[in-house]
Amino acid sequence: MGNASSAIESILSGASLTDVDVLKATESFPDYAVLPNVSVVKVGGQSLIDRGKAAVFPVVEELETARKKHKLLIGTGAGTRARHLYALAADLGLPTGVLTDIGTAVAGENAAILGYLMAKYGVPVVNVSEFAALPLFLAERNAAIFPGMPPYDMWQHVPSEGLIPPYRTDAGCYLVAEVYGCKQMIYVKDEDGLFTANPKQDSKAKLIPKATVDEVIAMDLPDLVIEGPVLELMRNARHVKSVQVINGLKPGLLTKALAGEHVGTLITAA
Amino acid sequence: MTSDTTAQHVPSALMRQTLLNRDLVRPATNRPVIRMLPQLRVVKLGGRAILDKGRDAILSVIDELKQALPERNLLIATGAGIRGRHVMGVSLDMGLPTGVLAALASSEAEQNGHIIAALLAEHGVSYLPHTTVGRQLAVHLAASPAAVCNGFPPYELFDHPPAVGKIPQHRTDAGAFLIADAYGAKQLVYISDVDGIHDADPRQSSGAKLLKSVTVDELSGMNLKTLPIERIVLDLMRSAKHMTQIQVVNGLERGNITGALAGKHVGTIVRR
Repeated sequence: MGNASSAIESILSGASLTDVDVLKATESFPDYAVLPNVSVVKVGGQSLIDRGKAAVFPVVEELETARKKHKLLIGTGAGTRARHLYALAADLGLPTGVLTDIGTAVAGENAAILGYLMAKYGVPVVNVSEFAALPLFLAERNAAIFPGMPPYDMWQHVPSEGLIPPYRTDAGCYLVAEVYGCKQMIYVKDEDGLFTANPKQDSKAKLIPKATVDEVIAMDLPDLVIEGPVLELMRNARHVKSVQVINGLKPGLLTKALAGEHVGTLITAA
Repeated sequence: MTSDTTAQHVPSALMRQTLLNRDLVRPATNRPVIRMLPQLRVVKLGGRAILDKGRDAILSVIDELKQALPERNLLIATGAGIRGRHVMGVSLDMGLPTGVLAALASSEAEQNGHIIAALLAEHGVSYLPHTTVGRQLAVHLAASPAAVCNGFPPYELFDHPPAVGKIPQHRTDAGAFLIADAYGAKQLVYISDVDGIHDADPRQSSGAKLLKSVTVDELSGMNLKTLPIERIVLDLMRSAKHMTQIQVVNGLERGNITGALAGKHVGTIVRR
């Protein structure tokens, strides 16, 4: 811990936090996992919730059954209403920060919907500002629902091209899993995983069952099933070094994925 | 709703898109971005550079800021300083993650904001929390000559795991930059305790030369060991919609803040 205690000394003595040697010294601290037994499950907006009852009810039932065995943090996507908001606001030339703010509300609406559906099981919706209460909900109810957008609002990164917020609900859910040192991150979408092209537009698209972050980036795919920035975040992960994308329209896959089975696309940090 | 599993879409230019195919997103998002608050001037007060230095330094800066009040439209963002470093040090020792460090250090930057706001309160200046800065800054600046905010962006637990080490990357320089760019501000001035950006750390090397004017690419290319502003600001400048220039000035020298806010070149200007 010599390196570590000298790191604290230099931080306190006013060494510049832009000094890469000071930053390197902070590597030597251990990584404490805050909620290590929790699985984060993201329920897609456009891919699932926008499909209504026929798609959502089976997923809710599967989550309810899984809750008896697993501790679940359930994040929500935004979906088609966010796309409408983004298109409208972008056409008006509004900044990415405003798009983020209004898109965040849509993920919140979807969290509210899931919350009403799971209310009878005692599963609460917990907003980001109330995350300090998550451990209690997870201990008492084994589950909580949260809106998947990261709370960047007007401070969202601006994309190098266009106006769409780069860090959306895939990134927000991933960062929840990573910061809490969770066991796993599962994205429940409407495709079997990552394909070589968007399978909704290209019938020749092939499933990629497993790939590293570097491999996915090197493929330079025209479209992705998961937000690109998640791949960048995974490179620097301390805890969550793999994520799985599964098809929530096929009953049973979520249960298997939670049990650690490979039933979709596994993306690993290395 | 139909009973099958077909998604119900709201018609829009981005309907059915993953938003990840650049060729499909581009046509719907290629408008120039408006400047929401084109008269806004953002000033970032260094925590370590100004606030930690105590009464004399702070009151001198406050005095200069008061002179800028009649022109209105000032957003003053505060750094965290030594207490931010302390709480990060304690948390690092316990192995807590970057997001927790960001949330705790952010709380300390906020306290510095309350101190600055208290000193300007008689002029109608208040501290505004993130949600108010993000959504109601316009009305506050219509009613008051200035507002004070936390320099940290509201990332907190959602700060990105850094490539090197565990110190959060989006601190108060980054937060001030992001909010200035989002609002399309007129200018962004970083108040430091050195004359600007030097070709070496002026605290360690007496021969360090001041760079009066430098581009983002030049500065990145120099691979300087330390910088008076967070490195991520340079990356943010590359994709910024409006904020293609910043100035770093020495707030301990009387007249610099007033000069910089009047558009004068008194420190280092970094351009894209």
